[in-house]
Amino acid sequence: MHSLYQRANGLTGLLSSCLIGLLALVALTSFLFPAHPKGDVNIKTLKVRWGQIDRHPAQEWAFVQFDLQTDLESLFHWNTKQLFVYLVAEYTGSKGVANEVVLWDRIAKIKYVFRDFNKTFRNASAVELSVRYNVMPYVGVLTSGEVGRTSKERFPALQTQG
Amino acid sequence: MSSQIRSLLEGKIDFEGQKLAEKIVQIGLISSTIVSFIVGFVVQDLKVAFAILSVATIFIALITLPPWPVYNKHPLPWLKSQNSKKEQ
Amino acid sequence: MFSDEIRTIQKLGVRYVVLQVLNFTQVIISGLMIWKALGIVTNTESPIVVVLSGSMEPAFYRGDLLFLMNPRNTPYVVGDITVYKVPGADIPIVHRVIETHTVGPLPTDQSLLTKGDNNRLDDLELYKGLRWLQRKNIIGKVHGFLPYVGYVTIAMNDFPQLKYALLGFLGLMALIQRES
Repeated sequence: MHSLYQRANGLTGLLSSCLIGLLALVALTSFLFPAHPKGDVNIKTLKVRWGQIDRHPAQEWAFVQFDLQTDLESLFHWNTKQLFVYLVAEYTGSKGVANEVVLWDRIAKIKYVFRDFNKTFRNASAVELSVRYNVMPYVGVLTSGEVGRTSKERFPALQTQG
Repeated sequence: MSSQIRSLLEGKIDFEGQKLAEKIVQIGLISSTIVSFIVGFVVQDLKVAFAILSVATIFIALITLPPWPVYNKHPLPWLKSQNSKKEQ
Repeated sequence: MFSDEIRTIQKLGVRYVVLQVLNFTQVIISGLMIWKALGIVTNTESPIVVVLSGSMEPAFYRGDLLFLMNPRNTPYVVGDITVYKVPGADIPIVHRVIETHTVGPLPTDQSLLTKGDNNRLDDLELYKGLRWLQRKNIIGKVHGFLPYVGYVTIAMNDFPQLKYALLGFLGLMALIQRES
């Protein structure tokens, strides 16, 4: 501690330890806030069409229109940097393949379309939509959960017009 | 010239001063970390916590890094040089 | 400049030099052991990664640090943020899983599609010919996050002069310390 350099060294050393401690405490506080988000989602329409979208080959596509209401206030605390909310379609295809597909997310705000793994929705199980979220903290652990779910809806037959 | 710069950069302080400076740094940093956490948590704003810690750190650095006269109140009592006596 | 050091070494002998080398090696090897042990516990080749691109903004920025885990028997779910490597490419990509299709009998037999939050299109073009990602392409799922800390590694890569400047500076400090 004789020289300026030694004092500066000691200061930055203790500061680093304090910073690490502070960040660890902040990360831990994330667990103090119990999450009770609420949500409600309904399918308005569900259609199946043949087409060629983006770079994917021609196949059947399902189009969904849905209603969504959520109250995610309780998920926001000082360590919440952002919330990533997304809508997922879950169903089992005709060959027994279980599928989960993201249709929509909050940041992008685009109505997505989705395609089946085996190019056709015929004989697939009924589809359920669920709203899920991802909490991204400033520092610490990422958490996620589900907020709402529709009832099951069958895929309609392939439409050639409309 | 370079010796002047050297002594400026070295910032010498005596042993009592060292103890004092170290104590200030330890108590200052740890308490401001705790305070910044509590205040930030109460206000629910992370930026506030880091602002408090940054300001406190700068303040502590200004108090303890330069060789203020308060750190040189107990200079070492060096013995007088005895070379001339021995050579005789 | 080094005459003092050489004299000291001559006085203390070969043993002293060997001891120093061993100490140094021990530090390096301990670090490596801890890293590999962490990799075993988390079941991933790279338990800590630095974000390299802006494709996951505003969640992750370049220089952020991510902590990964890759549990063997847990299937990946849409919404998971994964780090994966396409065979044939060296860079790890950090993107979100937007589709999962369970093709085999086990819940972990999955085909996956990913997309960066900040990208308009999904990652199909990054897959170099693959239509879907398989589990074996995935390094791990992001569980923890630390902002900014990894930026040093990016700066060192983008500006190699920084690496040399840092080494030069450290060397200089070591010399100056000895003299005073």
